[in-house]
Amino acid sequence: MLVVEHLTKVYEDGTVALKDVSFTVEDGEFLVIIGLSGSGKSTLLRCINRLIEPTEGRIIWNGRDITQASENEMRQVRREIGMIFQHFNLVDRSSVLTNVLTGRLGYLPSWWSLINYFPEAEKRRALTALERVGIADKANNRADALSGGQKQRVGIARALMQDPKMILADEPVASLDPVLAHSILGYLEKLNQEQNITVLCSLHYLDLVQRYATKVIGLRDGRLVYEGNRTKIRNITDEEFKHIYGQEAQRLSVGG
Amino acid sequence: MTPEPNSSTLRPSWLQALLSLLLPGLGQAVGGALTRGFYILLSVVTLSGLAIFASAQRPRYPDYSLSFHVYLRFLLEAAALVVFLLAIYWLARRYALRSEFGRNAATPAFALFAIIVVAIAAPAMVDTVVTGEAAKKLYALTSLLTAIVVAAIWAWSVYDAAFVRGKERAPNTTPFYLLLIVGILILGTRIVQINPEKAIREYKDTGVILSRIVWPWKVAFDYSESQLVAEAKVQAPCPPDAKPPAVNQPQEGKPWVVVTPTCGNLSKRDSKGKLTYGTQLTIRGGGFVPNKKVHILWENPIGNAFTPRGFGPTDIQTGPDGTFSTKLYIPDVTIPTFAQGPQIHTLRVVQRGAAQFTGKLSKEMKLALQAMLESIMMGLMATAVGIVLSVPLSFLAARNLMNTLHTTTQGFVGGVIGLVGGAYLGKLVGDWLTPMFGGLEKAPILTFSVYVVLVLGLAILAYRLLSRALDSAAERLPAGLSLAIGIAGMALIGAGVGYALGIGYAHGILGITRGAEGALTAAPHTALLGAALGAALGAFWAWRLGTSSKIPIGQMVYAAVRLTLNIGRSIEPLIWAIMGVIWVGPGPFAGFIALTIHSVAALGKLYSEAIESIDPGPIEALQATGATRLQTIVYAVVPQVLPPFTAFTLYRWDINVRMSTIIGLVGGGGIGFLLIQWIHQFQYEQAGLAVWLITITVATLDFVSASIREKMV
Ligand SMILES: Nc1ncnc2c1ncn2[C@@H]1O[C@H](COP(=O)(O)OP(=O)(O)OP(=O)(O)O)[C@@H](O)[C@H]1O
Ligand SMILES: [Mg+2]
Repeated sequence: MLVVEHLTKVYEDGTVALKDVSFTVEDGEFLVIIGLSGSGKSTLLRCINRLIEPTEGRIIWNGRDITQASENEMRQVRREIGMIFQHFNLVDRSSVLTNVLTGRLGYLPSWWSLINYFPEAEKRRALTALERVGIADKANNRADALSGGQKQRVGIARALMQDPKMILADEPVASLDPVLAHSILGYLEKLNQEQNITVLCSLHYLDLVQRYATKVIGLRDGRLVYEGNRTKIRNITDEEFKHIYGQEAQRLSVGG
Repeated sequence: MTPEPNSSTLRPSWLQALLSLLLPGLGQAVGGALTRGFYILLSVVTLSGLAIFASAQRPRYPDYSLSFHVYLRFLLEAAALVVFLLAIYWLARRYALRSEFGRNAATPAFALFAIIVVAIAAPAMVDTVVTGEAAKKLYALTSLLTAIVVAAIWAWSVYDAAFVRGKERAPNTTPFYLLLIVGILILGTRIVQINPEKAIREYKDTGVILSRIVWPWKVAFDYSESQLVAEAKVQAPCPPDAKPPAVNQPQEGKPWVVVTPTCGNLSKRDSKGKLTYGTQLTIRGGGFVPNKKVHILWENPIGNAFTPRGFGPTDIQTGPDGTFSTKLYIPDVTIPTFAQGPQIHTLRVVQRGAAQFTGKLSKEMKLALQAMLESIMMGLMATAVGIVLSVPLSFLAARNLMNTLHTTTQGFVGGVIGLVGGAYLGKLVGDWLTPMFGGLEKAPILTFSVYVVLVLGLAILAYRLLSRALDSAAERLPAGLSLAIGIAGMALIGAGVGYALGIGYAHGILGITRGAEGALTAAPHTALLGAALGAALGAFWAWRLGTSSKIPIGQMVYAAVRLTLNIGRSIEPLIWAIMGVIWVGPGPFAGFIALTIHSVAALGKLYSEAIESIDPGPIEALQATGATRLQTIVYAVVPQVLPPFTAFTLYRWDINVRMSTIIGLVGGGGIGFLLIQWIHQFQYEQAGLAVWLITITVATLDFVSASIREKMV
């Protein structure tokens, strides 16, 4: 269970990106974060695994306050939390297999990296992960030789290497076309349902939100302005919509 | 001087114009454009000062008061000339030129006209002001031309001041900058002593030498040279008691020479240079190649041979039977002052056969090739060692990696104390350990390595242990207590730094004015004061930071490494080489040290900039998986920086080999060392060989590294 309490983030330049945000995510939830560009979605996701240091507030993950964790303890926490990104964040010049293997680094001795050593078992695990996202045949290609959808599947495979209990996904489909968007979110949904992995995902298109979310929170200017479950988001009113997205907003759909 | 279109609609301010006439720039300052006025004044003063300085550089002891007065008079004349020219310009535009085209053409035509007038008037103006002795002491033309430029700037400044209203609506500054550039070019020509006339004149005399450098290939090979030699002894003056050398006899099948008499007086030159001939010798010779020249050389008693020019023919044609005869006065020979009494000289007759090309490389060519190899290897080694040393440094000098590193006050205190304490401990252990195998004298490398390993190892170990320990202690202990630890620790560190700075101040700064003794007496006081100040500052800082705040340790290391790299890079390799020569003596090792130091600094900077420009995405992704810092660097940073690192390394290799060819000029070994020696010995052909080898090597290298780089991209 993830509990976020009074989370506030003020950047060094004084930007208040999150303001007193509190919410709870039960295990196995597919939580979608919605909000305009600049509303603080990325900041929120990165505060949860402390890629960004929160300014105030607590984040309690399975009963442990991770805002207080030391650097070493934080690494232990991070390896249980997978993360996938809008721009995939793969190492372009490395092979697909290496990119997937890096997801396992949190479990391996640090100095092995000096001689670029991965045990055979980890390589098999990486191939299995690639098979699960359907691109095992690309294992030896360079990462920059893949298409956008394939790259994001490598990103998911990398997260799977962590044996994650939770996956943070920052606009995982914003760079992809609608068909691919459904395919990628489909993978996440499968992981969510079959392995009970909690998913926190920021999304832009309302129809995707309605299709996949079991719970939704809405951010506006860093404040939590909406919270709803699956039925509530499927029947979202115009008023609620405008409260999240502003008066001029139009409902857009990604189709499919 | 083209006025801006809109300034004509503005009413000129006569007051401001007048002020700028009195002092250039003053009108602008009053009109609200303070910096503009300042720059105008600055340029007028600078140009004038430089003109006074540069025009007085003709004699050994410059007469600045003369050049100052001359410059002032020139300035007056120049002002008159400028006013005259501007009046013509104004009149022409106002009355003569009524057509649009004429007005447009007026400015360039006027510029041309002004140049012609100056060219015609300048010599006359110089002559009226500078005459007689003064003309020998001054570069009057430089002074005058600069004065004209300054007068023109002054005039422009008057015009400009009339239209300045605050920051906006100021007239065009192009004329000002053009004039400034012209002024600098005039002065630069003088100060750099650019003198085309001399270049042309001197080339006539030195062309032969230059052409030897340009095409030196004859000395690259060995020639076998057959030469026929015969010698005869001559004693001067004639010995009063003993016998002079015996007269030679003609010999069959061998070159021979007979000189009579075999003793006589030297020619003498008195203090005025007047020559009195000595004894005349009759010389006969034979056994040489017929119908070919023989050459006569005179060798003094200490073995220096020269051609006795002016005492008789020195190149004589042999007859059909290979004999010749001639007459020669005994030349004047400078004899070492310690030599007394009659001395034995040698007359030598030489006949050269044709030089035979052997196809073998000459001694010099072999030397040059060897030195070239030395140079190339020096560049290679410096690059290789430079890479190894600069890669770790470059990670410490990469802002994006270091900025994220923070530590608590307590961790910092523990780290610094651990680092210093560990290093000291390492030194103590080293002191105890190294005498067992001989110490610095007997086993320098082993001893040094042991020290490095011990000091670095213990320092890092203690750093990690203490910083971790204090860091976690700070979290567990009550806030007040850990704050106290932080304050005490920072005070201690501050005191240490302040103490060192205090001593440094005494010796480094006070030592300059008070001498070494004064510094020594002052040192304890300044050290104490420094320690107290440092402790107070440290404690205050720790108190301000409190327990939770973070010290940007990464940024501190970043700044320190960057500063070191910048210093290393801004000192030229040639200067490092001079230090290297002082350190390890002349030779390639000194050059290697110099190139290595510079390479480390330059590569460190280039590498770290490559690291700074990578895509941060993969780093973020790896951090999110729980990877350590090392793992993140290996898997997210290294793959991204490999291509730029390779490119920069190739580039550096290129520079290093280039530099290695000339680092010998200051004693750094390699081909440059040979080159400068040959030049000093006037062996221009050999020097030419070195120049050719350098050129060939550098060009080849250029080509090779360019094609490697092309393949890489
Ligand atoms: N490193 C930073 N320094 C300062 N301000 C930042 C930084 N990163 C983000 N911000 C600001 O914080 C606010 C929230 O940004 P954030 O990236 O979290 O928004 P977002 O909801 O993810 O937007 P998008 O949908 O465009 O990705 C914005 O106003 C942004 O300008
Ligand atoms: Mg975002």
